[in-house]
Parts: sequence; structure tokens; C-alpha cells
Amino acid sequence: MSLAIMNISSALIQRHAVAEILSCNEFTAKFGLILSRLDAIELVETRTKTLKSTGRVEFGGGVIEKLIREFCTSSYISRHNYVETLHGLIEIFYYYKNETLDLISDDELIKFMRKSFDEICQGSLELLSGRELYNLARNLRYGFGPDCTEDYLEGDEEDGES
Amino acid sequence: MANLKKRHFFVGGDLSSKSYFLALLKAGLGTGILSESFLEKIQLQFLNLLAYKCKRYNLGDSSSIRVEAAESIMNSILYTIGIYLKSLPDIELVINQLKETSLSEIYDKGRELLTTKIDSAKERFETIKDNKLSTLNSTYNDTIENGIGLFFAAYDPEFEAHDTPGSIDYQLCNPVTGLSGIEFIEKYLESLLLENEFCRLFAAEDIHYLLSGYDKRYKDLLLNIFEHTLTNALGCALASCSVRGLNLQAEDIQLVARLLTDETEASIERKLSTAAEAVVKELEITNPALRKYISKSLSKIVLNIKQALRTNTVDQIFVSFVNPDLEPKIQFLSKPKMEDEEYRKLIDDLLECRYSTDKLVLIKKKVKSFDDLEDLLFDAYLGPEEMIEVFGMFNDLELAMLIKRHPYNSKIQAVDLEENERILRTNLKKYLDKLPQLRRERVSKLVKQLADDM
Repeated sequence: MSLAIMNISSALIQRHAVAEILSCNEFTAKFGLILSRLDAIELVETRTKTLKSTGRVEFGGGVIEKLIREFCTSSYISRHNYVETLHGLIEIFYYYKNETLDLISDDELIKFMRKSFDEICQGSLELLSGRELYNLARNLRYGFGPDCTEDYLEGDEEDGES
Repeated sequence: MANLKKRHFFVGGDLSSKSYFLALLKAGLGTGILSESFLEKIQLQFLNLLAYKCKRYNLGDSSSIRVEAAESIMNSILYTIGIYLKSLPDIELVINQLKETSLSEIYDKGRELLTTKIDSAKERFETIKDNKLSTLNSTYNDTIENGIGLFFAAYDPEFEAHDTPGSIDYQLCNPVTGLSGIEFIEKYLESLLLENEFCRLFAAEDIHYLLSGYDKRYKDLLLNIFEHTLTNALGCALASCSVRGLNLQAEDIQLVARLLTDETEASIERKLSTAAEAVVKELEITNPALRKYISKSLSKIVLNIKQALRTNTVDQIFVSFVNPDLEPKIQFLSKPKMEDEEYRKLIDDLLECRYSTDKLVLIKKKVKSFDDLEDLLFDAYLGPEEMIEVFGMFNDLELAMLIKRHPYNSKIQAVDLEENERILRTNLKKYLDKLPQLRRERVSKLVKQLADDM
């Protein structure tokens, strides 16, 4: 064990997080969605990489568990794309956590993601990330309502110019 | 054997609260008093505590947090734990607490201690405000009236206990080093209170005259009032003058210089220690903390004196009173300037002159006001010799005014000056150097006596 005693050990966090993710299987099994231990480890690795690239830190497996519980009932998720979608959702979540300047809570962001993913994006992670969440982040940064559209903003700018 | 180890636990350990806990664990692991499995347990507890605090920081809205914010919270927790463990009387008790109590309980106790410390620091600050010295020094006044108050307004014991906000610019005689957060302010206020207690033994106007003797612009300087007061009090004791009077005449200063010249640092320290005892006795100081603070300050004063002896500037360490209000001031009034049109014509004529003698005749004939002559030095493109000839036309008072407005600076100091300003100052310096000593002294005296407002 290193003498840098309080340098938070990533192994400890990882062990903690994998156990939490695996415990979700009890809930998701009824939808035919099961994660293996290796899947859970890889999901935690994706989270670790994303956290590092976004300059954030997290304790426990809180967000992955929430994403699993929210998205496991989506009609656009099956056992064929379950793990892959979760990896994408994790990356998108932390990226937009930063982009929204922490102005939105985890639960609200996940609910917004689920609603957009199921409705307007029809299961497309690209549309979710590149359009819906992009608009949400911009609206929050500029102090507009989350549902404010680009057309409305452009109209507003034109009014301002004239 | 274990007891022996415990007793020697902290040799070389860092004792600031922020690093105390980590230093303790490191030393515990090194000496074998704490096992690796115990450290892992502590680490897990710390992680849970950090997670809990981060959640509180985010108001429960977010499970992740920016790295910088998490680091700050981690340091705050370490500081709070350290502050409690440091308060325990001995190291055995510290180890027992760690082994028997959970980290979050230790943190809670530290947090309680922090609150108590904040309250007592606030009380001490109120006492300082009530007993504030009456001085013109703006750093002292600003720090007490605004800076320290800002600390209490901005200090966040919950998430940034290790941080020291506020604007504390006034330097103590014995600066607080290695501490932060409430510990820093506690120590700072404690020292400031002692410094004030000492200075209040003298009349406020005497301290004003003393500091004016040190530098007339002392109100804008970053100086320590206690240090100068104590130094002069020591000087008084050495010269057998009244310590309470605080004033040293020029001959007293010479006497002190003679007493200390050619002495070793240890011998100066001995003499000053004896003088300090005399000061304490004459001022009837009974507070042991103040006595200790005075002896702690001696080493710094000894260094200042040694340096002054080396550079022959003892009169800048021990000073005579100066009452700036009593100094005669000369108000310089120039004759009215000539009309702009007339001035422009004069400059044109001067530029057309081929010989220096013609230029000087023209200047003597046309220019009647000091201000015009000063402007002309910049506008007429005079050569160095011509400029020196023009300086010759000034009487002592005018010359003094010119020096006051255009003092000579070294090349480094003059780096920001305009080219023609630099030329004027250099030529003026050359002219002054060639003046007879008597006139030079007369002019220098006048420069000092001239009023600042021009």
C-alpha cells in the first residue's frame, strides 16, 4: 500500500461501484437485461475514463445504477444493444454534466435523456447528444427554459438586431 | 518499546492542521504502530466521509463533482480532523481515538472545535477593534477595519476550513507562518492583541512622532508599529533615557551605536535582552504572554541592528521624534505664466538662434516666471551646456523647487521616464554636483522645507 494514504484509491472505488452495478441485475432481469461481472467492470472503466476526461470525480456507482434503472424499460433497448447503449449514455451524461455547469441535477438530466431518447430521438444516441442535450446545455447556460428552441432564439436575435 | 516509539512519534512531523492527520498516519505506518489493514479501514471511512460531504456540497443533486471542488473538500476534512487530533494532550490519546472512534465522529468533534475557535476568534477580534491604536498607518487601519472582518464573512468551515479568505495586509513583527484557516487568524489576532497591548503603554502621539521620525510618509508604508516602538524603547533603555518617553536624541543614538559597534551577534543579543528586561520593568509589564512575545521579537531586531551597524545607518533603526506639523514649510509661488502666443513666439525665436549666447540673452530678457522657464527646458531643445547655463539663472529657492519637481533617479528607477524628462534630471544632477558644497547644502535644506502641494 502506498504511503500517499489519502490519495483516493481507484481500486477501492471500482470494487464498490461494480458491486452496485451487479445488484441492478435483480431489477433488470425481468426485462431480459443482465450484465456480467466483466460488463460491470467495463462500464466502471468507461465511467472512470469519462470522469477523468471531464475533470470530475464520483464516489460509488450512483449514476450508472440510475441510468440502468431509468433506461431498462425503454423500448429501444434490448439485450443486443444494452451494454453498448449504457457505455454511450455514461459518456454523454458526464459530458453534459459539465456543459450544463452543474445547473441541473443528476435525476433531472437522466429523466430528460430518457424522455428525449424514447420520443424525439427514437433511440438514437447521436441525436440525443448532438441535438437535444446540446440545446438543453445552451439554454441552461444562457438562462433560457430547458425547452426553448433554436428557432425561438434566432427569432429573438433578429428582433434584437432590428 | 511501543511506548518509546510513541514518544518519538512526531520527530520532524509537520504540525499544521492540514497535514497533521496525513503526517500522523505516515509516521504510524513507519513506526509500525498502525497496521496496513487499519490504514485501509481509515481510508474507506475517509472515502465515505468525503462522498457524504461532496453530496452535501451538491445539495444531493449530483453524485459527481469537479475535481477541484472535491480536492478542496478533502483538504477541508483533513484540516478539521487534524485540528481535533492536535487538540488532544498526547500522542497515545490520538492513537486511541483513531482506533476506537470512527472517522466521521472525529470529524464532527473537529467541526465543533472549529465553531468554538471561530467564536473565540470573533470575540478576540472585537477586543482588538475596541482597543485599536490611534494611528495614521493605513495598512493597520484597513486590516482591522475591513480585512479581518472579510475573513469572518467569507470563511466556510464546512467545505473550505483550510482556506484563509480576507485581506490581511498588516505585517506582524513575528509573522504567522505554516498555518491556515481559523488557526492562522487565531494566531494572528493573538499576536496583534499583544502588539497593541505593548503599544498602548505609550502615548499615541509619541508613536506618531516616532514613526514620522522613521519616515514622514509612514501612513502609506507596510511597517510594523510594534517593532519600531519596541526598538526605540530598547534604545532608550540602552541609552538610559526614559523608556516611557520613547524619544532618542541624536547623541543618545550615537551612544547606542557606540555601545553596539564591534560586538558579536550573541553579545548584541545579550545586551538587548538586558535592555528588554529594563523595558519590561519600567513599563510594569506583567502579562507573561507579552513578555514572551517581546523576547521572541528580539532576534529580528538584533538582525536589523547588525545590518544597520554594517551599513552605518543606526540612525534609521533608532530614531528621534519628528513632529511633522511643526516643521516650517515654504510655499512656492511662481509668477504668472506668459501668454501662450507669446511663449510660442519665444520658442520659435529660440529655435532660430544659432548661438547659445543669443539664446541665453533672449531667455533672460523675455522669461520672468519660474514656470515658463521650467516649460522652456523641455520645449526649446537646449543642449546640455545650454541647459546648465539656464540652471545658473535660478536662485536657491527656484533651484530647490526644480529639484523637488524633477528629482534625480538612478538609471533603473528612471526607466519609465520620458526621454526629455530623463535628460533634464541628469543635467540637473550634473549641475548640482558642480555647485559649491555650501550652496548645495542650502538648496538641499530648502528642498526638504518646500511644501508638497505645488
